[in-house]
Amino acid sequence: MSTETRAPVVTMRGQPAAVRTQSRGRPPSSPLEEFEQVYRRNVDVLMGYFARRCREPYTVADLTSETFVRAMDGFARFDPRRGSDRSWLFGIAAHVFARHCQQTAGGRAAAERLGGHRALDADEIEELAERIDAEREGAALMQRCARLPSVERAAIELVDLEGLSPREAALALGVSGVAFRKRLSRARSRLRKEHHGND
Amino acid sequence: MTKYTDNLWKDLAREHGAVLALADRPEPGRARQLSPRVLAGGTLALAAVGAAVTLGLTSTGSTPAPTTVSTAAYTITQSSSGSVLVTISRSQSIVQASQKLANMGIDERVTIQMAPGVAPVSGPVACKAAPGVTGPPVKVLLGTNGTEVIPLNTTGQNTGVGSWHLASCQLTGDSRGTGNTGAG
Repeated sequence: MSTETRAPVVTMRGQPAAVRTQSRGRPPSSPLEEFEQVYRRNVDVLMGYFARRCREPYTVADLTSETFVRAMDGFARFDPRRGSDRSWLFGIAAHVFARHCQQTAGGRAAAERLGGHRALDADEIEELAERIDAEREGAALMQRCARLPSVERAAIELVDLEGLSPREAALALGVSGVAFRKRLSRARSRLRKEHHGND
Repeated sequence: MTKYTDNLWKDLAREHGAVLALADRPEPGRARQLSPRVLAGGTLALAAVGAAVTLGLTSTGSTPAPTTVSTAAYTITQSSSGSVLVTISRSQSIVQASQKLANMGIDERVTIQMAPGVAPVSGPVACKAAPGVTGPPVKVLLGTNGTEVIPLNTTGQNTGVGSWHLASCQLTGDSRGTGNTGAG
Protein backbone atom coordinates (compact mmCIF):
# COMPACT_ATOMS: atom_id res chain seq x y z
CA MET A 1 0.00 0.00 0.00
CA SER A 2 1.29 3.39 -0.87
CA THR A 3 2.40 5.74 1.84
CA GLU A 4 2.03 8.75 -0.36
CA THR A 5 0.17 11.51 1.38
CA ARG A 6 0.10 14.05 -1.41
CA ALA A 7 -3.34 14.84 -2.67
CA PRO A 8 -3.98 13.15 -6.00
CA VAL A 9 -5.32 16.33 -7.44
CA VAL A 10 -2.74 18.68 -8.84
CA THR A 11 -2.93 21.82 -10.81
CA MET A 12 -2.47 20.76 -14.38
CA ARG A 13 -2.35 24.21 -15.79
CA GLY A 14 0.18 26.56 -14.34
CA GLN A 15 -1.32 29.55 -15.96
CA PRO A 16 -3.05 32.08 -13.78
CA ALA A 17 -6.64 33.02 -14.23
CA ALA A 18 -7.51 35.60 -16.81
CA VAL A 19 -7.90 38.48 -14.44
CA ARG A 20 -4.23 38.26 -13.70
CA THR A 21 -3.15 37.96 -17.29
CA GLN A 22 -3.51 41.36 -18.79
CA SER A 23 -2.69 41.18 -22.43
CA ARG A 24 0.42 42.82 -23.67
CA GLY A 25 0.47 45.49 -26.30
CA ARG A 26 -1.79 48.43 -26.77
CA PRO A 27 -4.99 48.61 -24.76
CA PRO A 28 -8.32 47.91 -26.46
CA SER A 29 -9.98 50.87 -28.11
CA SER A 30 -13.50 49.49 -28.38
CA PRO A 31 -15.71 46.89 -26.67
CA LEU A 32 -15.13 44.60 -29.64
CA GLU A 33 -11.37 44.79 -29.22
CA GLU A 34 -11.77 44.37 -25.49
CA PHE A 35 -13.85 41.26 -26.04
CA GLU A 36 -11.34 39.94 -28.54
CA GLN A 37 -8.71 40.04 -25.81
CA VAL A 38 -11.08 38.19 -23.48
CA TYR A 39 -11.69 35.65 -26.22
CA ARG A 40 -8.01 35.07 -26.94
CA ARG A 41 -7.18 34.71 -23.26
CA ASN A 42 -9.88 32.14 -22.66
CA VAL A 43 -10.84 30.27 -25.77
CA ASP A 44 -8.32 27.50 -25.24
CA VAL A 45 -9.33 26.74 -21.66
CA LEU A 46 -13.00 26.77 -22.59
CA MET A 47 -12.34 24.36 -25.42
CA GLY A 48 -10.59 22.18 -22.85
CA TYR A 49 -13.60 22.42 -20.55
CA PHE A 50 -15.84 21.03 -23.26
CA ALA A 51 -13.21 18.62 -24.58
CA ARG A 52 -13.19 16.89 -21.19
CA ARG A 53 -16.90 16.34 -21.50
CA CYS A 54 -17.45 15.56 -25.15
CA ARG A 55 -15.61 13.25 -27.50
CA GLU A 56 -17.10 14.68 -30.65
CA PRO A 57 -15.15 17.60 -32.25
CA TYR A 58 -18.28 19.19 -33.65
CA THR A 59 -19.93 19.21 -30.24
CA VAL A 60 -16.87 20.81 -28.65
CA ALA A 61 -16.88 23.40 -31.42
CA ASP A 62 -20.58 24.11 -31.08
CA LEU A 63 -20.52 24.46 -27.31
CA THR A 64 -17.43 26.68 -27.41
CA SER A 65 -19.04 28.83 -30.05
CA GLU A 66 -22.33 29.05 -28.17
CA THR A 67 -20.53 30.09 -25.00
CA PHE A 68 -18.81 32.98 -26.74
CA VAL A 69 -21.96 34.05 -28.56
CA ARG A 70 -23.72 34.31 -25.21
CA ALA A 71 -20.73 36.08 -23.74
CA MET A 72 -20.73 38.65 -26.54
CA ASP A 73 -24.43 39.25 -26.01
CA GLY A 74 -23.84 39.84 -22.31
CA PHE A 75 -20.50 41.61 -22.47
CA ALA A 76 -22.05 45.04 -21.93
CA ARG A 77 -23.17 43.84 -18.51
CA PHE A 78 -19.91 42.15 -17.55
CA ASP A 79 -18.13 44.14 -14.88
CA PRO A 80 -14.53 43.06 -14.22
CA ARG A 81 -14.71 44.61 -10.77
CA ARG A 82 -16.98 41.75 -9.76
CA GLY A 83 -14.79 38.92 -10.97
CA SER A 84 -12.43 37.80 -13.68
CA ASP A 85 -13.51 37.30 -17.25
CA ARG A 86 -12.50 33.66 -16.95
CA SER A 87 -14.79 32.97 -14.02
CA TRP A 88 -17.58 34.79 -15.86
CA LEU A 89 -17.02 32.66 -18.95
CA PHE A 90 -16.93 29.44 -16.97
CA GLY A 91 -20.28 30.40 -15.46
CA ILE A 92 -21.68 30.75 -18.98
CA ALA A 93 -20.00 27.55 -20.13
CA ALA A 94 -21.56 25.63 -17.24
CA HIS A 95 -25.01 26.83 -18.29
CA VAL A 96 -24.34 26.01 -21.91
CA PHE A 97 -23.20 22.52 -21.04
CA ALA A 98 -26.12 21.92 -18.65
CA ARG A 99 -28.52 22.93 -21.39
CA HIS A 100 -26.69 20.72 -23.84
CA CYS A 101 -27.10 17.75 -21.48
CA GLN A 102 -30.79 18.43 -20.95
CA GLN A 103 -31.46 18.69 -24.64
CA THR A 104 -29.30 15.72 -25.53
CA ALA A 105 -31.23 13.72 -22.96
CA GLY A 106 -34.37 14.96 -24.66
CA GLY A 107 -33.16 13.46 -27.90
CA ARG A 108 -32.28 16.64 -29.73
CA ALA A 109 -29.01 16.59 -31.58
CA ALA A 110 -26.56 19.39 -30.98
CA ALA A 111 -26.67 20.46 -34.60
CA GLU A 112 -30.44 20.78 -34.43
CA ARG A 113 -30.34 22.78 -31.22
CA LEU A 114 -27.75 25.17 -32.48
CA GLY A 115 -29.27 25.64 -35.88
CA GLY A 116 -26.64 23.61 -37.66
CA HIS A 117 -22.94 23.11 -37.22
CA ARG A 118 -20.49 25.84 -37.98
CA ALA A 119 -18.61 24.50 -40.97
CA LEU A 120 -15.23 23.08 -40.01
CA ASP A 121 -12.53 22.07 -42.41
CA ALA A 122 -10.32 19.03 -41.97
CA ASP A 123 -7.57 20.99 -40.20
CA GLU A 124 -9.98 22.40 -37.67
CA ILE A 125 -11.50 19.00 -36.97
CA GLU A 126 -8.03 17.59 -36.46
CA GLU A 127 -7.14 20.43 -34.09
CA LEU A 128 -10.27 19.80 -32.07
CA ALA A 129 -9.63 16.06 -32.00
CA GLU A 130 -6.12 16.74 -30.72
CA ARG A 131 -7.54 19.04 -28.08
CA ILE A 132 -9.93 16.33 -26.95
CA ASP A 133 -7.06 13.88 -26.86
CA ALA A 134 -4.95 16.30 -24.82
CA GLU A 135 -7.69 16.47 -22.23
CA ARG A 136 -7.62 12.74 -21.55
CA GLU A 137 -5.93 13.22 -18.18
CA GLY A 138 -8.38 15.87 -17.19
CA ALA A 139 -11.25 13.77 -18.41
CA ALA A 140 -9.93 10.84 -16.37
CA LEU A 141 -9.80 13.03 -13.29
CA MET A 142 -13.34 14.14 -13.91
CA GLN A 143 -14.31 10.48 -14.20
CA ARG A 144 -12.82 9.92 -10.78
CA CYS A 145 -14.87 12.84 -9.53
CA ALA A 146 -18.04 11.40 -10.97
CA ARG A 147 -19.32 10.27 -7.62
CA LEU A 148 -18.82 13.68 -6.05
CA PRO A 149 -21.71 16.13 -5.85
CA SER A 150 -21.74 18.39 -8.88
CA VAL A 151 -20.53 21.50 -7.06
CA GLU A 152 -17.60 19.62 -5.54
CA ARG A 153 -16.75 18.19 -8.91
CA ALA A 154 -16.85 21.63 -10.46
CA ALA A 155 -14.75 23.01 -7.61
CA ILE A 156 -12.01 20.49 -8.30
CA GLU A 157 -12.12 21.20 -12.00
CA LEU A 158 -12.06 24.98 -11.86
CA VAL A 159 -9.40 25.27 -9.19
CA ASP A 160 -7.19 22.24 -9.74
CA LEU A 161 -7.51 21.88 -13.48
CA GLU A 162 -8.14 25.39 -14.69
CA GLY A 163 -6.17 27.33 -12.12
CA LEU A 164 -8.91 29.68 -11.01
CA SER A 165 -8.63 31.06 -7.52
CA PRO A 166 -11.25 29.77 -5.07
CA ARG A 167 -12.89 33.19 -5.16
CA GLU A 168 -13.11 33.19 -8.95
CA ALA A 169 -14.42 29.63 -9.01
CA ALA A 170 -17.02 30.49 -6.38
CA LEU A 171 -18.17 33.37 -8.57
CA ALA A 172 -18.38 31.11 -11.59
CA LEU A 173 -20.49 28.61 -9.67
CA GLY A 174 -22.62 31.23 -7.97
CA VAL A 175 -21.83 30.10 -4.42
CA SER A 176 -20.33 32.00 -1.51
CA GLY A 177 -16.59 31.93 -0.98
CA VAL A 178 -16.92 30.23 2.40
CA ALA A 179 -19.25 27.54 1.10
CA PHE A 180 -16.99 27.01 -1.88
CA ARG A 181 -13.86 26.52 0.22
CA LYS A 182 -15.66 23.94 2.37
CA ARG A 183 -16.78 22.06 -0.69
CA LEU A 184 -13.38 22.20 -2.29
CA SER A 185 -11.75 20.92 0.86
CA ARG A 186 -14.33 18.17 1.19
CA ALA A 187 -13.90 17.16 -2.44
CA ARG A 188 -10.13 16.97 -2.16
CA SER A 189 -10.43 14.97 1.03
CA ARG A 190 -12.78 12.49 -0.61
CA LEU A 191 -10.52 12.09 -3.61
CA ARG A 192 -7.52 11.61 -1.37
CA LYS A 193 -9.28 8.88 0.59
CA GLU A 194 -10.44 7.23 -2.56
CA HIS A 195 -6.93 7.39 -3.99
CA HIS A 196 -5.46 5.75 -0.88
CA GLY A 197 -8.21 3.19 -0.85
CA ASN A 198 -7.37 2.21 -4.39
CA ASP A 199 -3.73 1.79 -3.41
CA MET B 1 -4.28 30.51 -31.47
CA THR B 2 -5.13 27.73 -33.82
CA LYS B 3 -6.83 27.83 -37.15
CA TYR B 4 -10.07 26.81 -35.48
CA THR B 5 -9.97 29.51 -32.82
CA ASP B 6 -8.93 32.16 -35.35
CA ASN B 7 -11.78 31.21 -37.66
CA LEU B 8 -14.24 31.12 -34.78
CA TRP B 9 -13.23 34.64 -33.80
CA LYS B 10 -13.70 35.88 -37.36
CA ASP B 11 -17.19 34.37 -37.41
CA LEU B 12 -18.09 35.82 -34.02
CA ALA B 13 -16.82 39.28 -34.94
CA ARG B 14 -18.61 39.22 -38.27
CA GLU B 15 -21.95 37.98 -36.96
CA HIS B 16 -22.09 39.61 -33.54
CA GLY B 17 -19.49 42.34 -33.60
CA ALA B 18 -21.83 45.13 -34.69
CA VAL B 19 -23.91 44.95 -31.53
CA LEU B 20 -20.84 44.66 -29.36
CA ALA B 21 -19.25 47.68 -31.00
CA LEU B 22 -22.04 49.81 -29.59
CA ALA B 23 -22.01 48.32 -26.10
CA ASP B 24 -21.53 50.55 -23.10
CA ARG B 25 -18.81 48.98 -21.00
CA PRO B 26 -18.09 49.67 -17.34
CA GLU B 27 -15.29 52.18 -17.15
CA PRO B 28 -12.73 49.91 -15.41
CA GLY B 29 -12.91 47.65 -18.43
CA ARG B 30 -12.24 50.49 -20.77
CA ALA B 31 -8.55 50.75 -21.06
CA ARG B 32 -8.58 53.73 -23.34
CA GLN B 33 -10.20 56.86 -22.05
CA LEU B 34 -11.11 58.92 -25.02
CA SER B 35 -10.41 62.53 -24.40
CA PRO B 36 -13.75 64.32 -24.33
CA ARG B 37 -14.14 66.83 -27.05
CA VAL B 38 -15.32 69.50 -24.69
CA LEU B 39 -17.18 72.52 -25.86
CA ALA B 40 -15.08 75.25 -24.32
CA GLY B 41 -17.32 77.86 -22.84
CA GLY B 42 -20.30 75.54 -22.84
CA THR B 43 -23.46 77.14 -24.03
CA LEU B 44 -21.67 80.45 -24.07
CA ALA B 45 -20.03 79.30 -27.24
CA LEU B 46 -23.38 78.98 -28.89
CA ALA B 47 -24.03 82.67 -28.48
CA ALA B 48 -21.97 83.34 -31.52
CA VAL B 49 -23.80 82.84 -34.74
CA GLY B 50 -22.28 79.99 -36.64
CA ALA B 51 -20.52 78.55 -33.61
CA ALA B 52 -19.19 75.17 -34.63
CA VAL B 53 -19.16 72.02 -32.60
CA THR B 54 -17.19 69.00 -33.66
CA LEU B 55 -17.27 65.38 -32.78
CA GLY B 56 -15.49 62.28 -33.97
CA LEU B 57 -17.52 59.88 -35.98
CA THR B 58 -16.77 56.28 -36.62
CA SER B 59 -16.75 55.38 -40.23
CA THR B 60 -14.56 52.34 -40.49
CA GLY B 61 -16.38 49.23 -41.50
CA SER B 62 -20.03 48.79 -42.31
CA THR B 63 -22.67 47.44 -39.98
CA PRO B 64 -24.58 44.53 -41.38
CA ALA B 65 -27.77 45.12 -39.42
CA PRO B 66 -29.55 48.23 -38.14
CA THR B 67 -28.19 49.10 -34.74
CA THR B 68 -29.30 51.65 -32.23
CA VAL B 69 -27.74 52.82 -29.02
CA SER B 70 -29.66 55.26 -26.92
CA THR B 71 -29.15 57.29 -23.77
CA ALA B 72 -30.94 60.32 -22.36
CA ALA B 73 -28.44 62.56 -24.10
CA TYR B 74 -28.23 61.01 -27.52
CA THR B 75 -29.35 58.24 -29.83
CA ILE B 76 -27.13 56.79 -32.52
CA THR B 77 -28.67 54.66 -35.20
CA GLN B 78 -26.70 52.95 -37.89
CA SER B 79 -28.81 51.51 -40.66
CA SER B 80 -28.13 48.29 -42.49
CA SER B 81 -26.68 50.35 -45.31
CA GLY B 82 -24.16 51.88 -42.91
CA SER B 83 -25.62 55.39 -42.78
CA VAL B 84 -25.63 57.00 -39.37
CA LEU B 85 -28.23 59.16 -37.65
CA VAL B 86 -27.09 60.99 -34.54
CA THR B 87 -29.90 62.48 -32.49
CA ILE B 88 -28.81 64.79 -29.68
CA SER B 89 -31.16 66.10 -27.03
CA ARG B 90 -29.27 69.39 -26.96
CA SER B 91 -26.14 70.70 -28.58
CA GLN B 92 -24.07 70.01 -25.46
CA SER B 93 -24.91 66.30 -25.74
CA ILE B 94 -22.37 66.13 -28.50
CA VAL B 95 -19.72 65.52 -25.87
CA GLN B 96 -21.32 62.25 -24.79
CA ALA B 97 -22.26 61.29 -28.32
CA SER B 98 -18.68 61.92 -29.33
CA GLN B 99 -17.37 59.47 -26.77
CA LYS B 100 -19.80 56.80 -27.89
CA LEU B 101 -19.08 57.35 -31.55
CA ALA B 102 -15.37 57.13 -30.90
CA ASN B 103 -15.98 53.84 -29.12
CA MET B 104 -17.43 52.64 -32.39
CA GLY B 105 -14.04 53.20 -33.94
CA ILE B 106 -14.77 56.04 -36.31
CA ASP B 107 -12.27 58.40 -37.86
CA GLU B 108 -14.26 61.21 -39.33
CA ARG B 109 -15.31 64.45 -37.76
CA VAL B 110 -18.75 65.93 -37.80
CA THR B 111 -18.99 69.65 -37.40
CA ILE B 112 -22.37 71.12 -36.61
CA GLN B 113 -23.12 74.78 -36.78
CA MET B 114 -25.78 76.47 -34.73
CA ALA B 115 -27.73 79.56 -35.71
CA PRO B 116 -30.31 81.59 -33.81
CA GLY B 117 -33.99 81.06 -34.25
CA VAL B 118 -36.29 78.17 -34.90
CA ALA B 119 -35.28 75.65 -37.53
CA PRO B 120 -36.87 76.65 -40.83
CA VAL B 121 -37.22 72.99 -41.75
CA SER B 122 -37.99 70.36 -39.14
CA GLY B 123 -35.93 67.19 -39.10
CA PRO B 124 -32.36 65.98 -39.33
CA VAL B 125 -29.62 67.79 -41.21
CA ALA B 126 -27.53 65.82 -43.66
CA CYS B 127 -23.81 66.35 -43.22
CA LYS B 128 -21.90 67.48 -46.26
CA ALA B 129 -18.82 65.35 -46.80
CA ALA B 130 -15.53 67.06 -47.52
CA PRO B 131 -13.53 65.85 -50.53
CA GLY B 132 -11.82 62.57 -49.77
CA VAL B 133 -14.21 61.50 -47.05
CA THR B 134 -15.27 57.94 -47.73
CA GLY B 135 -17.24 57.16 -44.59
CA PRO B 136 -20.97 56.49 -44.38
CA PRO B 137 -23.52 59.28 -44.81
CA VAL B 138 -24.33 61.01 -41.55
CA LYS B 139 -27.33 63.03 -40.44
CA VAL B 140 -27.69 64.91 -37.20
CA LEU B 141 -30.99 65.72 -35.53
CA LEU B 142 -31.13 68.21 -32.69
CA GLY B 143 -34.01 67.47 -30.33
CA THR B 144 -37.12 66.33 -32.12
CA ASN B 145 -37.28 68.95 -34.81
CA GLY B 146 -33.89 70.59 -35.13
CA THR B 147 -34.50 73.38 -32.62
CA GLU B 148 -33.12 73.83 -29.11
CA VAL B 149 -34.61 76.35 -26.72
CA ILE B 150 -32.24 77.60 -24.05
CA PRO B 151 -34.27 79.01 -21.15
CA LEU B 152 -33.32 81.87 -18.90
CA ASN B 153 -30.92 81.21 -16.03
CA THR B 154 -29.49 78.07 -17.55
CA THR B 155 -26.36 79.51 -19.09
CA GLY B 156 -23.56 81.68 -17.87
CA GLN B 157 -24.67 85.30 -17.96
CA ASN B 158 -27.71 84.03 -19.81
CA THR B 159 -25.73 84.10 -23.01
CA GLY B 160 -27.37 82.05 -25.69
CA VAL B 161 -30.85 82.23 -24.21
CA GLY B 162 -33.52 81.70 -26.80
CA SER B 163 -34.12 79.41 -29.74
CA TRP B 164 -31.27 77.91 -31.71
CA HIS B 165 -31.32 75.53 -34.59
CA LEU B 166 -28.85 73.21 -36.18
CA ALA B 167 -28.00 75.13 -39.30
CA SER B 168 -25.50 72.92 -41.07
CA CYS B 169 -23.26 69.94 -40.70
CA GLN B 170 -19.99 68.91 -42.33
CA LEU B 171 -18.00 65.71 -42.44
CA THR B 172 -14.25 66.01 -42.62
CA GLY B 173 -11.58 63.38 -42.63
CA ASP B 174 -9.72 64.25 -39.47
CA SER B 175 -11.22 63.39 -36.09
CA ARG B 176 -8.15 64.08 -34.01
CA GLY B 177 -8.86 67.72 -33.38
CA THR B 178 -9.70 69.09 -29.99
CA GLY B 179 -13.30 69.76 -30.77
CA ASN B 180 -13.00 73.16 -29.18
CA THR B 181 -13.91 74.96 -32.32
CA GLY B 182 -16.90 76.49 -30.63
CA ALA B 183 -14.74 78.29 -28.13
CA GLY B 184 -14.52 82.01 -28.12
